[in-house]
Amino acid sequence: MHLAISLNIAAGKGHAVLDFGQVSSFVRGAEAAGVDMVIISDSADKPSSSPFEATTLLAALATVTDRIGLVASASTLAHQPYNLARRFASLDIISHGRIGWNATLRQNPREAGNFSRPEGFCDDDFRRRAKEFINIVRALWIGWGRDALLFDKAGGRFHDPDKMQPLNHIGEFFSVRGPLNVARSPQDRPVLIMSDPAEADIDLASGGADVVLIEGQPSEALKVAVGDLKRRAAAIGRQPETVKVLATMALSSEPDVGSLQALLESSGCDGFNFVLPADIPGLQSFADRVLPELRRHGIAGQGQQGATLRAHLGLGTGGAK
Amino acid sequence: MSARQMKLGLFLWAAGHHIAAWRHPKAHVTAGIDIDHYIQLARTAEAARFDMIFCEDAAGLREANVGIASQTSRSIGFEPISLLSALAVQTSRIGLVSTASTSYNEPYGLARTFLSLDHLSGGRAGWNLVTSASPIEAANFGSTGLKPHADRYERAREFAEVVTGLWLGKASGHDGQSFSVRDPLDVPRSPQGAPVMVQAGASDVGRDLAARTADVVFTAAQTFEEAKAFYDDLKGRMAAYGREPDDIKIMPGVSPVVAETEAEAREKHEELQALIPDDVGVALLSSYLSISDLGRYPIDGPLPELPESEGMKSRQALVIEQSRRDGLSIRQLARHFAGARGHWRIVGTAAQVADELQARFEGGAADGFNVMPSYFPGELDAFATLVVPELQRRGLFRREYEGRTLRDHLGLKRPA
Ligand SMILES: Cc1cc2nc3c(=O)[nH]c(=O)nc-3n(C[C@H](O)[C@H](O)[C@H](O)COP(=O)(O)O)c2cc1C
Repeated sequence: MHLAISLNIAAGKGHAVLDFGQVSSFVRGAEAAGVDMVIISDSADKPSSSPFEATTLLAALATVTDRIGLVASASTLAHQPYNLARRFASLDIISHGRIGWNATLRQNPREAGNFSRPEGFCDDDFRRRAKEFINIVRALWIGWGRDALLFDKAGGRFHDPDKMQPLNHIGEFFSVRGPLNVARSPQDRPVLIMSDPAEADIDLASGGADVVLIEGQPSEALKVAVGDLKRRAAAIGRQPETVKVLATMALSSEPDVGSLQALLESSGCDGFNFVLPADIPGLQSFADRVLPELRRHGIAGQGQQGATLRAHLGLGTGGAK
Repeated sequence: MSARQMKLGLFLWAAGHHIAAWRHPKAHVTAGIDIDHYIQLARTAEAARFDMIFCEDAAGLREANVGIASQTSRSIGFEPISLLSALAVQTSRIGLVSTASTSYNEPYGLARTFLSLDHLSGGRAGWNLVTSASPIEAANFGSTGLKPHADRYERAREFAEVVTGLWLGKASGHDGQSFSVRDPLDVPRSPQGAPVMVQAGASDVGRDLAARTADVVFTAAQTFEEAKAFYDDLKGRMAAYGREPDDIKIMPGVSPVVAETEAEAREKHEELQALIPDDVGVALLSSYLSISDLGRYPIDGPLPELPESEGMKSRQALVIEQSRRDGLSIRQLARHFAGARGHWRIVGTAAQVADELQARFEGGAADGFNVMPSYFPGELDAFATLVVPELQRRGLFRREYEGRTLRDHLGLKRPA
């Protein structure tokens, strides 16, 4: 039973934007309540009004928390794969292995308009490009072997050159030589998350994602989607339990715990992703009223089982050697 | 107290600026994977009242030859924007400047990210604009290789214009040669008006871009005359853009090796020099000269004739100039440049170091210095405990921060 909280820091209507103290005290509260991870997103269909960009906020949060997983949403449109892989690898070292990337799978026309792609991509191109992008990032993350760094002062050998693999990727959309200039991350690869994959993205998700977030309603559809993802993962040789499916729920102030438990049982999902408004009263009521209620019923409070986010989620190494 | 005081940056770099720093017995060898080490360095620099911390960057390995690279500590480290965002909430006064490339980013994303760092730090962020001269970086962003120098700078000029427009809330709809941006940044203004713009290009176009857009300029200069010539040239270019000379702070790099006595300082320096493998020194020198095969010339012979570089024109000229002036062999040059990577080095006591800094500062060759400790944390501690108090006694450096933002520290105007 895993629990994520999604926080869109682009301020809710009519509310002042959150400052760092407010965001960090909420995240620390979630950590104390045993939440596995907080997922920060800062972009939406309208320009974000938060002063913070998600990956920079994550770095700051990493220094004021100890156990909770920290995830940032970032799109394949707004970044280059080398830069993005590097940013997340670095965040993972800063946080001692608590980082995840929520890879945005939908093309956002506003983003395209601001990132020198006024016409955007056609859906098919976008999808192939996203797939290539994500695979480059995953490969860059394991370019350095686990024991590549020798730190041998006397022998003058800082690292073992045979344990540093260039990528030499030449693809349809990108050419990336690699390797990263950041060391191997403490969890081998930061956790890869995808949200609401469209039918055409399901193979990408079942093939590479560690966590998939799917709308929790209607429950029948959720059940079908969970079964489909796990089956497809198994079909390509992954252990189905290493793909976690969390049901995304918008949260009202009084959660109906009974129906949450029923949904868990009937759908076979691995837990919940609660989407919270970025306003102080909303966060306060979640922290003060909802979280304790969820804990009482065992829906929260079981997270943070190990030292890394991968360990909290029981994910294994994500295919890394 | 003297009316004008020098600005000091702390240039962070892996285990230290000396190429063999990581091998030094007292260097922190795991610096590149230890965030607590960086937090400690930032706090030391803040306690010493440095204006800012500066992080270099390259979006790729520094050295293509894997054998050479594996004998240095420079192939791995933190990505600087995430590093400085972490430091932002672990410090309260010191400025935080990161390098980022105009060749491999988009202005909208970069403007948003630096503004976020600025908000996280309460107005202490700066961006060191570089155009990225390395083919190793280029190979991580496509198959067409490094773009020509002039093209990189044309893109940089447009990039800087879009970024400052976004920061000032001016830009709405940019449709240019390299970039198109539809929306403004719909976020609160920077606590310091706009993040500080830093630059280090020294070629003719690099200096023009700096004269037009930069608040701070870093430079590498070995001698007083070089430093002075650069200083006068750059400040002279500013009027054409309607700016006053004091609107840019010029801060040459300096790598001091300091100790209680001169003999001790020399000994420390020799200890570091002895740790440089010849092949590493020569490879590093080759990279400054933008040639790949310096190793095939006799190591105890002179530098061969070289074509003008498409990469770091200024650094190449500086190396050639020094080899002619001092009649140095390849081995000697390699050792010399490996120490501080082409930057100015002073070996001596706190008083001797302060004398030299004071001479350049008061002689009109610098507004301050970007301090490049040979190894961390020891040489930063030595500078903070020996040199800084000496500069303060002479009235050349602050005892307390005057304000809260990086612009306040540097005495820069807030943009309207
Ligand atoms: C103190 C200092 C720091 C620099 N840091 C970087 C850096 O981190 N990354 C980079 O790509 N270039 C760096 N440079 C190089 C310059 O920014 C510039 O790109 C280079 O000198 C080539 O431009 P030019 O031909 O106009 O001189 C640095 C230069 C100096 C003097």
